[in-house]
Order: sequence, then C-alpha cells, then structure tokens
Amino acid sequence: MNGFTHLHVASAFSGHYGVSRPETMAEAVAAAGSNALAITDRDGLYGSVKHIGACLQLGISPIVGVDLAILDEDGALLARSGILSHGHDRGVGWAKLCEIVSVAHASRAKSGQLRKESQVGIKRSQLAKILGKTGGCTILIGPDSDVGRAVLAGPKQLAASLLAAWREIFKSPGAIGVEIVSHLTEPGTAYSTEQAQRMLSLADSLSVPTVLTNAVRYLEPDEALTADVLDSARHLEPLGLFTPQPNAQAWLKPAIAMQALAIEICGEASRAVQLLDTTERLADRCRLDPVNDCAWGKPKTPEKSALGIDGNPFEVLWQKAHAGIDYYYRSANAALLSQVHHRLGQELITINKLGFATYFLTVADVAQMIRDMNIRSQARGSGAGSLTNYLLGISGVDPIEHDLLFERFLSTERSTLPDIDIDVESARRHDIYRAIFKRYGSNRVTLLSMQSKYRGRGAMRDSGMALGLEDEEIDDIAKNMWRFSARSFRGALGTKPELSALATAVEEDRRMNLLVDITERLDRLPRHISMHPCGVILGDSTLLQRTSVEPSGLGLPMSQFDKDDMDPMGLLKLDVLGVRMQSAMAYAVREISRVRGEKLDLDNIPRDDPETFKTIRTTNTLGIFQIESPGQRELTGKHQPTEFNDLTIQISLFRPGPMKGNMIAPYLDGRHGFAKADFIHEDLVPILKETWGVVIFHEHVLRILNVMTGCTLAKADEMRRSLENPRVATTVKKFFHEKTRERGYSEPVIKRVWEILEGFGSFGFCKAHGAAFALPTYQSAWLKTHFPTEFLAGLFTHDPGMYPKRLLMAEARRLGVKVLPLDVNKSSDEYLVEPEGIRLALTEVQGVSENEVARIIEEQPFKDIADFYLRVKPTRRTLERLALLGAFDSFGGKRRSDEAGEDPEVTRGDIIARVRQLNAIKNRPASEANQPTLDFQVLERLPTGNIEPTMAEKVSAELSLMKLDVSEHVIELYRPMLEDMGVVNANELVGLRNKTEVLIAGVRVATQTPPMRSGKRVVFISLDDGTGCSDSTFFDEAQARCSHILFNNRLLLISGKTRRTGVRGVSIMAENAWDLRELWEQWAKARPQFRERAAG
Amino acid sequence: MRRMDENVSVSINRTGEPVGFLWRNSTYRVRTKPIRWFARRDWWLEAARVQRGVGAGVLEVEVWRMVASKAEDPDQKTQFEILNTTASTDGEKAIWRLVKVYD
Repeated sequence: MNGFTHLHVASAFSGHYGVSRPETMAEAVAAAGSNALAITDRDGLYGSVKHIGACLQLGISPIVGVDLAILDEDGALLARSGILSHGHDRGVGWAKLCEIVSVAHASRAKSGQLRKESQVGIKRSQLAKILGKTGGCTILIGPDSDVGRAVLAGPKQLAASLLAAWREIFKSPGAIGVEIVSHLTEPGTAYSTEQAQRMLSLADSLSVPTVLTNAVRYLEPDEALTADVLDSARHLEPLGLFTPQPNAQAWLKPAIAMQALAIEICGEASRAVQLLDTTERLADRCRLDPVNDCAWGKPKTPEKSALGIDGNPFEVLWQKAHAGIDYYYRSANAALLSQVHHRLGQELITINKLGFATYFLTVADVAQMIRDMNIRSQARGSGAGSLTNYLLGISGVDPIEHDLLFERFLSTERSTLPDIDIDVESARRHDIYRAIFKRYGSNRVTLLSMQSKYRGRGAMRDSGMALGLEDEEIDDIAKNMWRFSARSFRGALGTKPELSALATAVEEDRRMNLLVDITERLDRLPRHISMHPCGVILGDSTLLQRTSVEPSGLGLPMSQFDKDDMDPMGLLKLDVLGVRMQSAMAYAVREISRVRGEKLDLDNIPRDDPETFKTIRTTNTLGIFQIESPGQRELTGKHQPTEFNDLTIQISLFRPGPMKGNMIAPYLDGRHGFAKADFIHEDLVPILKETWGVVIFHEHVLRILNVMTGCTLAKADEMRRSLENPRVATTVKKFFHEKTRERGYSEPVIKRVWEILEGFGSFGFCKAHGAAFALPTYQSAWLKTHFPTEFLAGLFTHDPGMYPKRLLMAEARRLGVKVLPLDVNKSSDEYLVEPEGIRLALTEVQGVSENEVARIIEEQPFKDIADFYLRVKPTRRTLERLALLGAFDSFGGKRRSDEAGEDPEVTRGDIIARVRQLNAIKNRPASEANQPTLDFQVLERLPTGNIEPTMAEKVSAELSLMKLDVSEHVIELYRPMLEDMGVVNANELVGLRNKTEVLIAGVRVATQTPPMRSGKRVVFISLDDGTGCSDSTFFDEAQARCSHILFNNRLLLISGKTRRTGVRGVSIMAENAWDLRELWEQWAKARPQFRERAAG
Repeated sequence: MRRMDENVSVSINRTGEPVGFLWRNSTYRVRTKPIRWFARRDWWLEAARVQRGVGAGVLEVEVWRMVASKAEDPDQKTQFEILNTTASTDGEKAIWRLVKVYD
C-alpha cells in the first residue's frame, strides 16, 4: 500500500487552534514519501499561500480547503466541516472557496462595524447556492456535525435522515463526503472508533462516499500540550474550566498509522482498503494547479479603464514622466537637463521591459489622489531612488541631487513587483483607504492583513492565564521581561538580574516551572490576524476570486493573506503608512495659517537653513523626527550636522547594522579630522568622500562593484543581495577577484575592498531610504526652529514621538512656550495656539467622553458654571474633574460687589464646592426656558471660604486625571530633598568635567535596551527633570545592583559619573539607582513640615 | 463500580493487547477482546515540567477495558480498567495501574 494523504489539517495559522507551521508539516510528509498534503485552516485561507509555496518547493501537490461552521437557517450550528477546493479546473474551485470563506465572514460586518462576538459561519443554503450545479468543492461531514452527534446519541433513523438531507441539498458532483475520524477516545464519545464505525456504516447504507482523515491540529504528539494552552487562550479561560481536547491523538500520523486506524475502524481489510482508496481519489481531485487555479505568480494590476487611461499604458507613463521634467527641473541648466533625460530614458526602458507601466501609473494615481485630498504625503524606501517616482510626484526627494540609484529599487535582473511605500498623515489614513476603495471599486481593493506572533510578554501572559495565575502575578513578571526571546525564557532566568525573583519562584513553585515551559512553547506562534498597519492590495476585477476577505476593525474588507503572500500570489501591495509626524507638521502649518495668516509650503522651504542646523546641533532635538531618541541625541552631539546630506548619513548610521559593523567611529574620526580618511584606492574617492571612506550605503556597494569590476549597476545590486547569503557569496567573490585583477587593481587593494564588501552583508542601509527619512527630519527641525509654538501644538495634538507628552511639555517650558490650563471656554479637542501660548485640549481629561467634548465645543461659550451644566449635560465625574483641573477658574475672579462679603476672591476651592452642589441635585433640570424648576440665581451665588488648592494638590490632580503635570514639573515637589542632597539638574551636566560624580533625578521617560556589538545587554534610561533630559547607561554590574528598581519605578534618582561623548554630548555612566518616592518618605520622616507633600 | 489505583503486572500479546494480569496474588485471564482508548490527564495539576519534547505521555494515558476472570474460576467474569501509565508498548517496561473494577 502507498502513502496516505491528509485532507484535514489545521496549521498554526488557525489562530489559537493549530500548532505547527504549514512549511514544517509539508516538509514532514514529503520526507515520509507522501506526494500531497492539504491545509484546512479554521475559518480562513490564512496559511494556504505558505502551504502552496512549500509544496511547490518540495515537489508535492498542494491541496487547500477551509474548516468552517455551517449553519442552519436560524444560524444554529449544523456542522464544523472541512471544505476542500477541487483542482485543475481553471480556478473554479479556488474562486468558490474564496467566496465561501468571504461570505462566512461577511455577517460579522454590520454597518461598517466589526462585531467581534458574532460567529464566523455560512448558512447551508448559501453554501449550496455558491456551489450550484457545477460544484467546485467537496464538503466533508465529520464527527463534529449533526450526523456525527446523532450517531452517538440519537435514534438510528435520525442520523440517516440528517445525512439524507445533506445529500438532498448538495447535488453537484462530489459535493459531499462523510469524514471518518477516530482519535481513539473513550467508546461512546465524540472522535471514538465507535463513532467512526457508525458513521461508516451509515454512509455505506446511503451510498455516500467516505474518506479517512485525522482532523490534524499538530505535527507531533508532543505539541498537543501547546494545543491545550491555545485552547485556553481561545476560550479565555484557565485550563480545567472548559472541556479540553480528549487526548493527544490529533497529530499528523504517518501512513502506516493511518492504515492501522482504517483497519481498526473497518474491522475488515477490504473495507479498509476501499476507505483509503476513496480518500486518495478525493485527494487527486483536489490537487491544485497553482498557476492556472490560483493565478500563482501572475502580476495583476487594475485595468486601464479603472485607472482612467486610454491607449498604451507605457506611452501614458512616458508622457506623464516627461511632463514632470518641465515642472520639477524648470530652472535646471542644459547639463543637468540632459542628465535627467538620459536617466529617465534608462528607467523607462527597464520599466517597460518588466511590463510595470500600469503599476507606476497606479501608484502615481493614488499619490495624486492623496494630494488632491490635501493630505501630506511622502514616498519612502528604495522607491525614492527612482527619478520616475520623483517626476510622477510619488517621491519628494530628488534622486539626482542626492545621488540615489534606480537599480537599488528596480532592475531587469529581478521581476518581483517593487515596493513603493507612501507615508501620509496618520490622522487621515483611513480617509485615504476609503477613497481608494471608492476610486477603484471594492472588487479591486482590499486591505492587507498581518499575523501578529506571540512574543515574550504576550506568550507569558496567555500562559499565565492558562495556568490560572492571578493578574497581579502576571503583571509583576511581565514588568521584568526585557529584551530576550521567550523561546529562551529558562536560559534568561539565570542571566538576567531582574528575573532573579522569578528564578527563585521557579525552584519553589511548580506552576512557575510550567509557566516557563509553556511560554517557551507559545513563543513565535501566530497569535491573531489584524489589519496590516499600512497595506492596501490593488488588483483587477478578479481580485475577490483570488483571495478570501474578512471585515477589518475598520469595517473595510481585508484579505486573509499577509505581506509575504503578495509576491507569490502576484498581488500588488501599496503601503500607505500613517505617520503621526506628518499629521503633527500638517497641524502646525494649519495653525500658522490660522493664527498668523501665513501660507507655508513645507515641501518648498530651503533645505540649507543655518538656523535649523544650529537648533539640531544643540542636541535639544526632542520632537524632531528620527533624531530625538537618547542615542540619536548623543550621536547628534558628536556628529554636529551642518547640511541635509549629514542628516541622511546620521539616520542611516544609527541602525543596528552600522552599529554592529563599527562604522560610526571611523566616520566621526574622519569628519572631525581625528584620523585621515582612508579611501583604499583613488577610484573610490568620488564614491566615499561623503562618508570619509566608510561604506555605509547600499548605493556605495553598487558603485564600488560597478567601478572596480565594470559590471552594470543592476548586476551590482544582484551581487549586493547575494552578499547577504553566505552560500551564494562565494560566486560573487570569484567574480570580484577575477574582474578586479583583469582591470589591474593590486592584490592588497582587492583584498581590503573585498573584506569590506563581505563584512557589509546586511549591515548597510539604502541611501534612498535614509534621504526619504531625512526630509521630515529636516522639516520638523525647521518648524521647531521657526515656529516652536505651532510645532509643539502639533506634537501635543498628534503625539508622534517616542516620549510621553509630559516630557514635550517640559520641552515647551524650556523653550519659554506656555502651556495654558484647561478652560471650558477656550479648550478644544486639539491644542489651539493662543497669543500667550498653547491651550490644553479637553481630550486629555481621562474619563471625558468624545460626545461630551463635542458638546462642549458646540455649546461654547458659557457664561457660568450653571450654564455649562445645563447645556453640556456632563456626567458628574466629568463636571468634577473639570473643576479640579481648573477648567472653570475663568468664571472666578472677583465676586459681584453685592455678594463680596468677606472673601472677594473666588478660589478654585469655591468652584469645586459649587460643582459638588450641582452634582448633588438628584434630577437634572432641563435647559428649556419654560421649565423653571430651580432657581439658579440662588445657586449661582458661589460658595465662599474654601481655600485654594496648593500647588502640590494641583499637580497631583493633573497627574492623576491627565497624566500630565501642567502647573509645574512633578519633580518640583521633591525639590527640597534634591537640593538637600546636591542633585544636579540635567541642563547643568554639559558644564561639568568628565568623570564628575553626580546624582541626577527625574521622571523616567525612555528605557531602551538596544542591540550592542558585544552582545551584552546595556540599559539606557532617560530622565526628565524639567530642565532637560539626562541619559544614563547601565552596564552589567550596575544592572545587577538595581535593575528591579529601573524597570518598576517612574521617579528615579541615579548616581554615576559623567562621560563626555562629544562637543555637546554628556551622558552618565550609572552606578546605582533608587526609587525617588521611597527616598522621599525616609527623608520627610525626619522633617514633619514636608510630610504628605509629594505626589506623582 | 469501585475506583482504585493499584499496581498490576500485565502480560500482553504481540499486538500489544493485554491477555492476562496478576492482581492481589491472583492471576486473571482476559476473556474477550479488550477495548483500548486514550484518556487525558490534567497535566497542569500534576506535571513538574512540560518543556518542548517532554512527550504526549504527560497529557494522555492509554486505557484498556477488559473482561477477565481468575484462572481457577473462569466463569466469575468481571470488567476491569487498567492504565498503561508509561504509554510504552514494551510490556516489560510499562507500568500498569488498575483503576476501576465493575463488580
């Protein structure tokens, strides 16, 4: 007897159900000699493209289906069934499978909202309608069906009539089969041999074909334990509180075991042979022909009609690009123009050869649409290296000016669709998606999905939940999980000081031991599917016959395929990425226009403004795109950029690759004249002079290969890609050595250049990408320099950076920009610029609903608190919070003379008392004038004699209700102690000598554990103390002393020595750290006047 | 039916089916074809470790239900349930526990 084909197999992409990766399972069956394997993920085709790809590579036949709930007319579950697509039918089966899955999900979307609670499933009648008379798929009725349940529990006739009903409804050829499964469970229960036997004889009596499967959930029996934990995550209940899988038999059993099962079920050999035979016949019918069934690898772009073009797409592209020359190079001289024409000619030839004209026209069309919507946009990535993209308005960086190469982006040596990513204002991203759907039609567009994976903390949390640990226990462990792969959780226990408490617990507590084991098991498994943050798939009108879709959180349909599936399926993906900084800058530009009446075109400001570079060089770069992190601040201090290209280089240098490759120090030494730049050979001087002889960019490698070997830039990029793969690198090495010798380079030169190229591997960065990033970096720095108030208002409103907003407020204080308190008559849902400063937005107050904010804005202005109370109808909580935060303070001032009494000044205390009076009213009076239920004049008399809250109380209210300290910096509350201890301010550090012993304090605003050359972990902590930001570095020894403090506290005191890192750069080599609040308690104990004071 | 948890030594045939066992100093012979299935265990309550590769034995256990009688009293048939706690098919190495007797 030959192999056995498994027809019911859930992969790990069956979220919280399957355990093994499709590729691993395909490899296992191919190695065991099978020539086909099915994938039937739960509720979707999530793993199918990976499965098909793996099968093609292994030379076995892919089979694809879905495991889906089939419902009766009332929506009750009839069966959970495998539905398999037939193959070699020119895509009929595949298209129907896509449609079935999409319909099963469609019911979850109602009026643009995703209903999470509703079940995925398809009504049997809908399913019959899709299959029609011609069919295209086979439905397997198995143990988890009405028939399967009836053979166990019901009278015999019931099961027979239920199966007859299925046969009656599905008339197309081969539409149904009975699935025989035994997981060897207790006789009389589901998935027992007894149930399988009854199913078999029932099917035989009605002449319905039978197939044997093992309803597989995992490759190996051992993985059943992981399946238990996934079940717990799916049920959202700890193990023991739901009905678990009956045993560990749902594995991908080898042919011999499946044959033994067949005999055990059938009892006699001949029936068993027949069962195995019908199984193989169904398998044969379902073997897919990926190219003709799924349009595998065939690029599909919108039709000309959908793009609104007539004639040959290439001619249209040619015309559009040349029209761009007149606009973008209107003041260019003849030499530049001829360079532009030559370059464009070459690019267009390549694009035409690859047949990508429609692709470029599509992207240009989307870019134009975004501009027409008045939304800021900017291409990023290697696409910025294309002159065509620049001329079509897709990219804002001139590739000729910045010396960027097209070949890095696209060449005839490769034929995969290129990636063009467009960054847009994050706040408008969804508007753009909707516009794309509208423009091209929902039959040609879907969103892209992504499978998020279990990572350290997530894996530990779900494992902890499965074991029934308390939430606090889980939180405590999660807090101390920093930068290690959960797959090596147990190893980390011994080496990470902050995990030492857990390590002890593991020795004493069996559950903790299990927690570590199952966390390691969950790590990296797919966790759930969600909308990709930026991907949109554009296709032709057959798109929905190629991919199944489900509603996204946004309500728009989303493909069940992820980004890795795009290329194999020939689908065109456009990344429209929401960038908060673009929103922040757009907001600043609008505020400049609103407040000053100045119209500003940010894309046309001069890119050599000395003031802007001066700002950057101070290292006060908080809020500036890409260069605000502690590490970038330190690098800025050392680097001291003076021109746009410096920003491109700096952004590219601060990457894991160049850091590991030790590129930063030689570059800085060359730049500052500490060392003479070494160009190795005079031919390399023009290429490397911008980086003082250091190879940083992909473009450098391309040009070096081009100059030294004489190969084309396109070929050079292919070689650069091969360098990343050590196995192919040897052919490149041979080529490089031969050609350079032929061209007369000396052996030492060849040797040294090769060492650099070989070591370069994955280290380098695409310059086009760096330049595309540098543009918003420069633009945001320019805004911060010239319009700090408007720029900060944009940052506050759109919160683009890595730091908490309260740190940006400290930066505003440092810049002398006032943050004005909440005021119900002036605050809005955005941070508005006023003559005196920036007004705090209402949206910061926690617990205030969107509707309340909208009502406040609509009803403004208010004449007093009662007026506000009547018209806004706030909840009691909102009213009280607004009062505590001083939003009604402007109604205070002096009392009217007739009620002045002894307290002429109204305090916030009086206002709070007043609000509490209002909140005490049981039935809120209506605001209609004809309902004089209450005499508000009486109530309008403000209470008197309540004291003004202290500054400490105000800051404490701000921190607890807004997570912001507006009135003064929270650290001020600790000032007496800090002065007593001689703590240094962050802005004083720059004046100190190297290696000065210091104490610094502040709020922890950033914690980073970046990858280091040595592989050792280093922790960077940034503290904000209101005068600026200090950066401390903790190495192993210091971490051992205090890592439990570092990760668990917000307010810290750190001791250490200063370390000068450049002209303006000072950081601290930390020695120890303490919890500031704990220190305060000890300090204040001896000083009664300070007790009760500190908050935060 | 009585629940218990006692060691028994079991002899099996070539296909792994129990054919007889020794319990409380009496030898029993299996009289009808025994039925086998796999039951699960609540490993989260009992296991010390569940690391990758620990094996399915932590999760499931092989159960045999059989009708047997003492060699000297063949007509006095009783139903028994015996666990193979090691999931080992090697009769020598397997550790068997008698868990149910249907008196």
